[in-house]
Amino acid sequence: MFSRMAPHSRTGFARSVPELGLLLLTILVLLEGSVLRLGAASSPATQSHGAADCPKPVETHHNKTKKAFPVLSFEYDHVKMPFEISLWVLLASLMKLGFHLIPRLSNIVPESCLLIVVGLLVGCLIKLAREDVPPVLDSQFFFLCLLPPIILDAGYFLPIRPFMENLGTILMFAVVGTLWNAFFVGGLLFALCQIPQAGLDIGLLPCLLFGSIISAVDPVAVLAVFEEIHINELLHILVFGESLLNDAVTLVLYNLFEEFSEVGSVTVLDGILGVISFFIVALGGVLFGAIYGFLAAFTSRFTSHTRVIEPLFVFVYSYMAYLSAEMFHLSGIMALIACGAVTRPYIEANISHKSHTTIKYFLKMWSSVSETLIFIFLGVATVEGPHRWNWIFVTATVILCLVARVIGVGGLTYVINKFRIVKLTTKDQFIIAYGGLRGAIAFSLGFLLNKSFEMREIFLTAIITVIFFTVFVQGMTIKPLVELLAVKKKQEAKRSINEEIHTQFLDHLLTGIEDICGHYGHHHWKDKLNRFNKKYVKKFLIAGERSKEPQLIAFYHKMEMKQAIQLVESGGGSKLPSAMPSTVSMQNIQPKHQPAPPKPTERALPQLPKSREEEIRKILRTNLQRTRQRLHSYNRHTLVADPDENAFKDLILKKQKMIELDRKIKEMTMYLTVPAPHQGSPTMSRARLASGRNTDFIPAQQQKGNKKSSDPQAYNIKPASDAMPIIQVDLASPQSPDSVNLLDEIGKADRGEEQGLIMKPPPGLSGSDQHGEKEKDDWRDQQKLMRCLSDPGPGAEEDEDEPFLP
Amino acid sequence: MGSSSSRLSNIPNGQELMQETGFSDAHLLRLYERFQFLDKDNKGHLRSEDFEAVRELSKNPIGDRIVEAFFLPGQETVDFPSFVRVLAHFRPKEKNRTREGAQQEPEPANSRNQKLKFAFRLYDRDRDGKISRVELLQVLREMLGMQVTEEQLQSIAERAIQEADLDKDDTISFDEFRKISFHADPHRNRTGEARACLLEGKQT
Repeated sequence: MFSRMAPHSRTGFARSVPELGLLLLTILVLLEGSVLRLGAASSPATQSHGAADCPKPVETHHNKTKKAFPVLSFEYDHVKMPFEISLWVLLASLMKLGFHLIPRLSNIVPESCLLIVVGLLVGCLIKLAREDVPPVLDSQFFFLCLLPPIILDAGYFLPIRPFMENLGTILMFAVVGTLWNAFFVGGLLFALCQIPQAGLDIGLLPCLLFGSIISAVDPVAVLAVFEEIHINELLHILVFGESLLNDAVTLVLYNLFEEFSEVGSVTVLDGILGVISFFIVALGGVLFGAIYGFLAAFTSRFTSHTRVIEPLFVFVYSYMAYLSAEMFHLSGIMALIACGAVTRPYIEANISHKSHTTIKYFLKMWSSVSETLIFIFLGVATVEGPHRWNWIFVTATVILCLVARVIGVGGLTYVINKFRIVKLTTKDQFIIAYGGLRGAIAFSLGFLLNKSFEMREIFLTAIITVIFFTVFVQGMTIKPLVELLAVKKKQEAKRSINEEIHTQFLDHLLTGIEDICGHYGHHHWKDKLNRFNKKYVKKFLIAGERSKEPQLIAFYHKMEMKQAIQLVESGGGSKLPSAMPSTVSMQNIQPKHQPAPPKPTERALPQLPKSREEEIRKILRTNLQRTRQRLHSYNRHTLVADPDENAFKDLILKKQKMIELDRKIKEMTMYLTVPAPHQGSPTMSRARLASGRNTDFIPAQQQKGNKKSSDPQAYNIKPASDAMPIIQVDLASPQSPDSVNLLDEIGKADRGEEQGLIMKPPPGLSGSDQHGEKEKDDWRDQQKLMRCLSDPGPGAEEDEDEPFLP
Repeated sequence: MGSSSSRLSNIPNGQELMQETGFSDAHLLRLYERFQFLDKDNKGHLRSEDFEAVRELSKNPIGDRIVEAFFLPGQETVDFPSFVRVLAHFRPKEKNRTREGAQQEPEPANSRNQKLKFAFRLYDRDRDGKISRVELLQVLREMLGMQVTEEQLQSIAERAIQEADLDKDDTISFDEFRKISFHADPHRNRTGEARACLLEGKQT
């Protein structure tokens, strides 16, 4: 194929790539066109051949033997479908590539517009080539294949908290707003049709039907446009949530009016049934989604041995939810959203990190391709579709849609603001109104109309015009308008751990205040739901230890994991992010004393000098940590040895240890009277570091006790009688080779621990800090120990040191 | 809705309280009834045992801190004005209510700053104006309970302080605290719609 030769023949590579793309594009299209024609030509031949086969097998047998054996034959029919689909997908992807190579264009024009233009071009090409454009935007195909990935992507990554907080507003816009739009547009169009000059003769019900089709804000279009303007979270979730939730309303209205436009009249009873149907459609869809979501979460509990198919469960269950809902004519979109939103917190606790990444990327990939295809097909269908242009109808539709939207948003906001704490400003209202884009769903619904429906063509034309108008005009101008109006942009706020802590703290605080007031408000019920969730649902749906993990810890580990990955990717720890405190002021070493302990059992502090306390605490902690870590480890990983994940976990450990290390050093250097350096201990440590051996900072006596390592270098440090050893670690050299070896070392350390805790506890504390008990009170143990060792004389020191020796 | 004797005139210093805290008389009345409900022995003031009688509060991880916040330092009882003053921090903001002077001069009790100061006091139990690592650890321990290792708590506290501590004194001052909660505050116009307004006419 000469396409492969093309880049070599050109000199400037950068310029050749877009040209290459265009070249490929035209080739593809022509190929497709010609192939299809050939296919059409060949198929009658094969068909007749086949037909001849059946009644006269003997003769064909004779026929066959006479022909020479076909060395190379061409048969297009049996690959026709997948081939065409693949071609389209390829075209869409190449287009996506191409746009980003022309940055100027993609800044001005949103991608959706460009894609529609491409679709138009392709449609024209096909029309020229074949004089008959295949119906690509087949409604079946659209609703069953193209739409679900986008919605699932949206639902799975739906930010739950802002969504729930604004649910009332979103529902108002979705339900009441869409109803208002539908009736306003439909009604006024009908009024228009009454005017004899218009030359239109459309009944009330068809008008209302049209109104209901055109009134729904389209999630695909909204996503496509809003993604590029980075608007603040509130507006994004409002418009987006509205576009998702109005599906139920649209569905009910559409079905209602379609059914009855044939009949010609709607009674009050039908209206009531419609209302009931709405609730059933909406809640039924959500229910289906939630059921499938729970099933998916439950299934993922057992996938620890077969990690590779974990993503599949998410996709298949969600798709089944969609299909089941569609089966019953319930709202498939809401089912998908519910499924994704419900399943996510539990599934993420169960599946491996890789599966999570896979799910994320697959969803993004599919939704991206789907979106591209939808817009291209819109373009093609525009060229193809049966059109009947009626100036009055079309312009009236466009104007009425805009007006309806503006009035609707304005009126609803006025009402909603009475109930909101954070009011919607005029700017917000404008953006919400302006962001009400129509898209392919409206077109497909129109396409679905019965072919014998005489108004179909007018409707389709008008729908397409509105779509074009909203996507092109509104889509292109919304970005400059956002800048002009200085609407708040999305803050690039990465959730920090402090926010998380604070949010939870505030939640508890507000719940507490509500309880004191005896007011069962928002927080009270949220708290109850959370507690129910923690107690029953999580235990049921999340495998193993993770079910007990509080949200904060999960969050923290997610963050640490991210950082660890960054660390690895940036070349192995040349600079640890969020650097350790370089100076530790004296004050902080001293833990604050409580004036009057409210709970005497927990807070009694001993009379120890602070250094001692810290030291002991650390010793205990590091040892207890070992057992704890084994017990609380992420069991889901240990079942399947996943070296990368262990590596990340080790990196986290390493970082933690280094932080402790640093602090400990500082404390010890400040508080110890005679810093008696040991025989070559600093040099030994440095040597150790340089060689990448264990820099795990536990006083050597313990290490000796715990590790059965045969490392000769590491553990020859004997304790001085009256001073703790100083081991200075040169932290300046955590280089990549070191970190790699560290991982091994720490890995070994963990594995070495499998044999159990060798350390014998100091007398008087036997059994209090042994392994085996999973959920013991660490703090209480430390208290006991500290009380036992309240006399910090040398004797006690040795006493303490001794058990750590083997 | 309460006994016949609960009228505004029965509330001692009702008018001054209304002015000071900004509660409406209906709100104040309801709070008074609640106060009387909590005050089982009809002592006229509340002790910590009365607070602990609220069932849900015992399940709240920071319940004891909240209760503590009602008591002025050194005192063992809470009388009605103190009760109301604390709750005034959570009064929903009204846009156009005009109160005679009480709104402009001292910062209204339910302003964001006051709420944050209140929350800060809950963290900073020893009232030295800074949240030290130990205090943060305690809060974390309370919120997370027994489900996590000490190690994890330390790491989290470490990280939290690192992120928030701008002047590197290893504690979180009120200003730094304010910056954190800038993002986490449910009242902010980010998407914030969490309702801290308790007294909108609903009470069991």
